[in-house]
Order: sequence, then structure tokens, then C-alpha cells
Amino acid sequence: MNTIRRALALGLAAATLAFGAQAQNRELTVASSATYAPFAFENKDKQIVGFDIDIINAIAKQQGLKIKVVNTPFTGIFGALNNGDVDLVISGVTINEKRKQSYDFTPPYFAARQLIALPKNSTVASLKDLNGKKIAVVSASTADDIASREFGKTNPNIRRFESTPLIISELAGGGVDAAMGDNGVIAYRVAQNPELKTLDDKSFPEEGFGIVVKKGDKALLDKLTAGLAAIRADGSYAAIYKKWFAKDPNAR
Amino acid sequence: MEQPVLLFGWFRWDILVEYKDLFWQGAWMTLRMTVVCVLLGSSWGLCLALARLAHPRHAPWTWIARFFLRWPATVYVSFFRGTPLFVQILLIHFAVMPVFIHPATGLLISGDLARELKQEHGALISGVVALTLNSAAYISEVFRAGIQSISRGQFDAGRSIGFTPLQVMRYVVLPQAFRRMLPPLGNNAIALLKDTSLVSAIGLAELAYAARTVAGAYARYWEPYLAISVVYWAMTLVLTTMLRRLEHRLARSDRG
Repeated sequence: MNTIRRALALGLAAATLAFGAQAQNRELTVASSATYAPFAFENKDKQIVGFDIDIINAIAKQQGLKIKVVNTPFTGIFGALNNGDVDLVISGVTINEKRKQSYDFTPPYFAARQLIALPKNSTVASLKDLNGKKIAVVSASTADDIASREFGKTNPNIRRFESTPLIISELAGGGVDAAMGDNGVIAYRVAQNPELKTLDDKSFPEEGFGIVVKKGDKALLDKLTAGLAAIRADGSYAAIYKKWFAKDPNAR
Repeated sequence: MEQPVLLFGWFRWDILVEYKDLFWQGAWMTLRMTVVCVLLGSSWGLCLALARLAHPRHAPWTWIARFFLRWPATVYVSFFRGTPLFVQILLIHFAVMPVFIHPATGLLISGDLARELKQEHGALISGVVALTLNSAAYISEVFRAGIQSISRGQFDAGRSIGFTPLQVMRYVVLPQAFRRMLPPLGNNAIALLKDTSLVSAIGLAELAYAARTVAGAYARYWEPYLAISVVYWAMTLVLTTMLRRLEHRLARSDRG
């Protein structure tokens, strides 16, 4: 009996050691919601591709990190980070004060702001005009925060969906008066749909997308921040930007 | 804001309180949807079961029944039982509904009425349609089994005293079959109650939607999902109790 117990304890210790050693340079798991073209989406070969993915790969290469990207629905993405299922998130996450209280962010890697999609014949001219109208947003997105703040968290006029394609479909199908989301994706989807137009409300603040890590994960945050600065400096950031948005990062 | 700590220190009651309107409206929506879908699904399910059981004796009714009743009903049941309900909901809401109800191009309803309908009740209509069509497929099998369990002699007896086949069904077979079908029908109702949660995917503000919204806003999962679990459980308990009462009553009338 005793020998068995001793063997078990030994095995456990060995396992702990092995895992401990591995943790030094283990593969990092990156969560991204692949419904967010052109930032992250699945191509026909089931690979997740996009601006965000190229950025994180460039940073990882620059910093010598091993990463693996997993497709995670946006609604569950912070939960996955909290649970430790993933080490970092790059998924068009807007940096804001509320999120900063719970997570740590790198400096912005993309200048973003909110954009409203409307049917071609809509007379809505600002966010305020949407009062009393139906708005589709992605659950837990920045647009959800803004709409909740503006019109009330439990207002039934706010319709929450799992992903950006769904809010655009709902708008195209006439189920809502407007859809709101980050400029990059909304512009991309509206460009594909001749029945829709975009509205840029100048009162929306300038925002930025940041890479998210667990609160206090300073080691990883420092590496990502350094990597981001390095790829900005060596021109690979500009090349990736040009690849996905067909213009230079400085041009708006 | 004052945080009432009633039971566990870590349990954030305050976020449930903050979103309480969404939970109440959600519970009410879940309840209404279940009742409507059980009623519609049962009616449509009965029609399907009768279609599958149609076996007239004389030409040309024999082949009309085969090609226009039995085969379509069989294919229907096979499709709706053979594909995931979640897929059916998305298909109906984003693909089928816009064909029929669309402000610009709706085949059935268009213009302002379509906009009004879609904006006020779009997800509810799609959800009710999807759940009804789906549950009817399962319920039709319950009806078919129930009807087939009644001995052939009952049918013949009814016919011999001058009832038409439909009258025999209505006054002789169905009342007896219904008692046997009640437990599986109850099962279906409970399954349907829980399946309403899938409709949250198309933005219908029912219970699961409320939980998802809260979970999304706070990245906390215990509070919202435990809360709605309790509500679903309470609803199924009430439903089970009601069904048991009904069974007892029917059993009593059976003994005369």
C-alpha cells in the first residue's frame, strides 16, 4: 500500500515538474471570434484569417512566442479569458474604462469608432434619432454598451445577437431600423449590401482596439506591447494594414 | 449602489436586480411561447398523424391518400426530426421569413405592415413557427402511436352503429387514445419549454436571452444562468404537477 502511495506521489511530483518546465515556453492560446471580417473570419479552408490574426502572428514571431488561435464566440470571449481557457484575446476588442477595470490591454493596434448601418431610405441622421427605434447590436459589444447607456439596459428596442453577420441580416430583413458596430466590420458588410448605407455620428468618441490579457498578467502584456511597437517600427504593421484595408494606416 | 448580501458573499445579486426587468419580461415571453407552441404544435401534430394514418379502401382515394397525405406527412416528420431545431430556427428566421414578410419584397406581406410585424414581433413569429413545425413532428408520432394502440374492434364498432370514420375518430378513438398519450405529450411540452431558449439566437428577449445579456455585460456566469435554471425548473415543476392532476382526473372518469 505504502509503495503505491509513494509511487503516486513521485509520479505527481514528476508531472508537476514537467508541466512547470513546459510553462516556460508553452503554446499560448489566443481567442478570436471569427465572425468579424476583415479582422477575423474563417476562410474556406476553415482557417481563421484576418487583420487581427496577421497582427498577432507578427507579434508572436517578433517575440518568439508560440501561439494557437481558437475561434470563440464574442459573447463568451471574456469568460474564456477569466476561466484560463485562453491566454489572450485579439478580436476587435475596443479598449474602454469598464473593461480596463477587469482586464489589461496593450496600446491600441487599430483606430476604431462606432458606425451605424441603415436602410438606404432611412432618415436617421444621428444616434439620438434612433430613440424609440429598434437597434440590432452584438451582445456585449461596444455598440451594446453605447445603446444600453443611451436607451437603457433593459430597453426592448435593443436587440442583441451573437455576431455581426446576424445584425446585418436582421437589418436587411427589415427586423430592425438600424444596426450598430465597429466601423471596420460595419463598413465591410454594408459595402456588400446595396440596400444599406452607413451613418457616421461625429459624436462617437475615437476608440482603439487592444489585445486583452488577464488582469495582472504583466509578463505577457509587456511582450505583446513590445512586439506591437516593434512591428510598427519595422514596417510589417503597415504592410498588414495595407493588405486588409487597401490603404496606409495613417490615411483615414 | 447598495449590494444586498443575502446568501453568498460572492454571489452578485445586484446584477440580477439591475436587469430584473429583462428577466421578468423574459420569463413571461418563455411562458407565452410555450403555451402557444404546445397548442399549435398539438393541433398541427394531430393533422399530421391523421394524414399518416389515412388508408381509404376504394380507388381513387387509395392513391390520393398515399401521394398527397401519407408521403408528404412522412417526409415532413422525417425532415423536422432529422435536422437540428437550432438550424431550423436560423433557417426560418433569416432565410424563409424574409421571402414572405419583407418591407420591400415580401411575397405574402410587404410594405409598412411587414415592417411593423417584423420589428415588433419578427423573432417571436419565427420562433413560434419553428417550434410549432418542429414539435408537431414529434407530437404527430405520439398521436399516431396513441391512435394505433386502440384496438381495431373499437373502430369497427363505431362504424357499425352508423358513425362516419371522422366521427369514430372524434367520439370513440381519440378520447381513449388521449389518456394513453398524456404522459408522452407532457414530455413534449417540457421539452418545448426548454427548447424556447434556442430562440434567443435570433434576438427574442426570452429567459436565455436575458441571461446571455447579463453574462455578456459582466462576464459573470453563475448568477444569470443559475437564476434562469431555477426559473425553468420551477416552470417545468408546475407543468408536471398540472399534468399529474389531469392524469388522475382522467383515470377517475375512466372508472366511471
